[in-house]
Amino acid sequence: MAPPAQSQRSPSPSQPSGKGEVSDLKSQLRQLAGSRAPGIDDSKRELFKKVISYMTVGIDVSSLFGEMVMCSATSDIVLKKMCYLYVGNYAKVNPDLALLTINFLQRDCKDEDPMIRGLALRSLCSLRVANLVEYLVGPLGSGLKDNNNYVRTVAVMGVLKLYHISASTCVDADFPAMLKHSMLNDSDAQVVANCLSALQEIWSSEASSSEEASREREALLSKPVVYYFLNRIKEFSEWAQCLVLELVGKYVPSETSEIFDIMNLLEDRLQHANGAVVLATIKVFLQLTLSMTDVHQQVYERIKAPLLTLVSSGSPEQSYAVLSHLHLLVMRAPFIFSSDYKHFYCQYNEPSYVKKLKLEMLTAVANESNTYEIVTELCEYAANVDIPIARESIRAVGKIALQQYDVNAIVDRLLQFLEMEKDYVTAEALVLVKDLLRKYPQWSQDCIAVVGNISSKNIQEPKAKAALIWMLGEYSQDMHDAPYILESLIENWEDEHSAEVRLHLLTAVMKCFFKRPPETQKALGAALAAGLADFHQDVHDRALFYYRLLQYNVSVAQRVVDPPKQAVSVFADTQSSEIKDRIFDEFNSLSVVYQKPSYMFTDKEHRGPFEFSDELGHLSIGAESTGTVVPAQRVEANDKDLLLSVSEKEESGGPSNNASAYSAPSYDGSSVSAAASSQMLSELAISSVTGHASQSSLAIDDLLGLGLPVAPAPAPSPPLLKLNSKAVLDPGTFQQKWRQLPISLSQEYSVSPRGVAALTAPQALLRHMQGHSIHCIASGGQSPNYKFFFFAQKAEESSTFLVECIINTSSAKAQIKIKADDQSASEAFSTLFQSALSEFGLP
Amino acid sequence: MPPLMAIEFLCRVADVLSDYLGGLNEDVIKDNFIIVYELLDEMIDNGFPLTTEPNILREMIAQPNIVSKVLSVVTGNSSNVSETRPGATASCVPWRTTDPKYANNEVYVDLVEEMDATINRDGVLVKCEIYGEVQVNSHLSGLPDLTLSFANTSILDDVRFHPCVRFRPWESNQILSFVPPDGQFKLMSYRVKKLKSTPIYVKPQLTSGGGTCRVDVLVGIRNDPGKTIDSITVQFQLPHCILSADMTSNHGTVNILANKTCLWSIGRIPKDKAPSMSGTLVLETGLERLHVFPTFQVAFRVMGVALSGLQIDKLDLKNLPNRPYKGFRALTRAGEFEVRS
Repeated sequence: MAPPAQSQRSPSPSQPSGKGEVSDLKSQLRQLAGSRAPGIDDSKRELFKKVISYMTVGIDVSSLFGEMVMCSATSDIVLKKMCYLYVGNYAKVNPDLALLTINFLQRDCKDEDPMIRGLALRSLCSLRVANLVEYLVGPLGSGLKDNNNYVRTVAVMGVLKLYHISASTCVDADFPAMLKHSMLNDSDAQVVANCLSALQEIWSSEASSSEEASREREALLSKPVVYYFLNRIKEFSEWAQCLVLELVGKYVPSETSEIFDIMNLLEDRLQHANGAVVLATIKVFLQLTLSMTDVHQQVYERIKAPLLTLVSSGSPEQSYAVLSHLHLLVMRAPFIFSSDYKHFYCQYNEPSYVKKLKLEMLTAVANESNTYEIVTELCEYAANVDIPIARESIRAVGKIALQQYDVNAIVDRLLQFLEMEKDYVTAEALVLVKDLLRKYPQWSQDCIAVVGNISSKNIQEPKAKAALIWMLGEYSQDMHDAPYILESLIENWEDEHSAEVRLHLLTAVMKCFFKRPPETQKALGAALAAGLADFHQDVHDRALFYYRLLQYNVSVAQRVVDPPKQAVSVFADTQSSEIKDRIFDEFNSLSVVYQKPSYMFTDKEHRGPFEFSDELGHLSIGAESTGTVVPAQRVEANDKDLLLSVSEKEESGGPSNNASAYSAPSYDGSSVSAAASSQMLSELAISSVTGHASQSSLAIDDLLGLGLPVAPAPAPSPPLLKLNSKAVLDPGTFQQKWRQLPISLSQEYSVSPRGVAALTAPQALLRHMQGHSIHCIASGGQSPNYKFFFFAQKAEESSTFLVECIINTSSAKAQIKIKADDQSASEAFSTLFQSALSEFGLP
Repeated sequence: MPPLMAIEFLCRVADVLSDYLGGLNEDVIKDNFIIVYELLDEMIDNGFPLTTEPNILREMIAQPNIVSKVLSVVTGNSSNVSETRPGATASCVPWRTTDPKYANNEVYVDLVEEMDATINRDGVLVKCEIYGEVQVNSHLSGLPDLTLSFANTSILDDVRFHPCVRFRPWESNQILSFVPPDGQFKLMSYRVKKLKSTPIYVKPQLTSGGGTCRVDVLVGIRNDPGKTIDSITVQFQLPHCILSADMTSNHGTVNILANKTCLWSIGRIPKDKAPSMSGTLVLETGLERLHVFPTFQVAFRVMGVALSGLQIDKLDLKNLPNRPYKGFRALTRAGEFEVRS
């Protein structure tokens, strides 16, 4: 703690020694409590200040609660504020004492000064004591109708606070409806904005349990509401504008002309002084034009200048956040910044986190026309004082080299790095030269000449050492003293701490042996002996493997260890493009800054109730269990996640249309669709009774039959639809289709108890469904929730059906969503699917 | 959560606090817990930002300055909260206090520009950009309506406006039409890119060998802006591997600061000679040559000129009772002006 400043106006707390001072304060407060002498407020104020200071620096002054409340009778607004603050801070731990304060807070809620009314109401709602909520309803109700906008603003937020203390009280008092009324009618923009913010929060969390709430939430995105906000947008404060823009970003216009109207209206927001508004507007523009390719390109052109301004003005934190967004954009449209690359040149004073992102940007924007300048610039950073940045810039040069066709000049530069005689520069450059050689073997002569001059003794970093050893092995026929260098490295086997280097050493000496046997034989023997004695399991195993290979047949060994190699054309990208799309959907959120979609870093409970599949990682791929059906299904773990998460988003989009794929993931319409499907069931039941069945009677029969859990499964009707039993679909296509196609059918069935019993593991169902020519592409989940993605193809044509099926074994329900290339056939397919499902578990 | 919303808001909180408290550090906050609490209460509620306009806040919460202290002693009114309820919250121009009155109506318009430039090892101007702001200080009565126009708006690359600026007149005629807030504010910021030349040159030369490094830096006028360039400084960070440095100059003073920064303050460039600094750096034992090359950061200031070439054409005022005084100034200084060696 800093020494107390001797300031006249507010004595800062001297080092408080604890108990003594608190009891001292207590007695002083007590003296003042009853007094009505003039000037008493001033002495109260000094005391209160002390109490608040103690409270803020973390000293427990809750024992003064009674005295503070006693002193609270005052007309001085600052005293009141301090008192409210104190009460708000300690009420939660002293619920009994908090009751004492209710009285004076309620009285203040009726004060004639609107400021006091507002403050009292805010404090009342901030008590956060569950058994006091009954006292909140009255003041909140009148606060919402107050004729002063300040009080109304506070009351709206109060409703939200009440909701978080006790959701049922809030809903029972019909506050959401009142907020909705205010939102659409209040004259004050801040009140309207607060209503919007509160309602979004309330309805989103209510939506899982109440059908009405989810309908209301949908209604927020309806045309009249969105237009209402758009028309008033200039009245709002900059923060409220962000909120409105967020809402507009989720709106799906029905006509093209709407899109242009909205963009025209919002264009001046791009010039706003507040970066948050600018970025929110950019999100709206990007989302609106997703389906219009050429307009989308124009949008990129339009947003370029504002984004670049945001990068170069403002705090480094802001630059970082904006640069992350630029990085995302440049991945989607590499051309947009290719002529503005100079904006990403690093400046000396910038923090390294900004520099690092700028280097990534430079790598991303490099193309034929600007490579020379960019690489020149990057090379200057290699001599930078900041070593991590110097390393990054060398890596950047390497990455550019790997993505370009004309690498002449770049290779020269990299080779110059090798001659710079700086350990870390040489190390980084070696790793890069290795990668370059794997892609451009034609450069080997030039590189080898330089690499050959590097003394292996100067290289300490394992990665670099491994790279050098790899090159020694690979090009041992061209490097005169390769066997001898390897030999000396093997002599120091014991001193080599990195297992990676030892592994490379083994392989390199093998390769060298095949090319120059007489010179290497001795070294190989020594290496194998050392490897067999190695304590590291991998090194030991590899040495043993090589030894036995050589024993078996030397030419076979050569084919295994040193086959002729093809140049690598593309190095694997670390992040799949689907993940990038996901992040793009979450533009203007922290996902972009963290460079991963929100489901990867948010807690389960904040993801929305339906995203049960937190075991996404445990997914098994259908092909692994079903074997032969879908060949070459090598999906990375990320993609597995995505397969499910993408579809979850799809459900959330609600009723079928393409744009729903871009609705916010927090939106969750599962209960809607569940409710809708049960509604559909009952409607169907009625229509079949009254004989007005307009849809396929087969489907209805099945629906009804399955609707009764104990009813025997209906005999499989002759399939109208023949499915191809050897259908093939790769996961990428599946995901793409799943995104594109609208939901053509969404239903809920009951699963027979036998089926439930048989579903101990997802694999059982997969095999069963495969028997019906319905193939699984991914499955996952744990009891009681299982999730499957199936696909099937028509026998005669290549029309595909995609199914998402969620089975809850405890409620014996299966929810399915069907998407189909040929929508008209989805009804028939659904029937087929159900009958297949209903047979599951039958002996 | 939109990241910029959080960052912008925090910046705004910091601005408002330092505005109120006259600085922002731990001690100041500890001395003024109450004001800080009051401000935060009004600025954010339940995680949602509310009012961050300094004008409105000032109406709700009085500043703890000497004047109000004296006033409270004299009048005996001890509350530091103004008696009036927040008026501007209801006004249709939220950035403006309701109806201020001034005996002398005056308005000042300043063009403040910062030049960012990077010159690479070969002496090539890699990047040169100007970030500029139009700062207005307005003390006008009533609800004045101002129109500001520039002679050459075509050079502007990207512009951002204070919320008071009306968008349409700018879009159609590049005219700034606005009702100003009271006091000092940033009306507009802009960028001008791809400038061809800098007003001064700085030429560093480093030659190293035999455990030492010889440094020579030359500074001179490249492109005379027509006004004096003053407050010129050149500084660079000495690399870690340097044991000692001995630097002298023929003009101005050279200081080696505690954090191993070498600062050469030149001031103005004399007419008769070109300023130069030279000296030797002694490297760590074992090092033959210097492998890291320092970056030289340059600062300067030019009064009376906006180097981007932007010129104010005229400023019209409407809705005013009497003729106000109008003042214009321009200033350019170096922003991130760096020369690599």
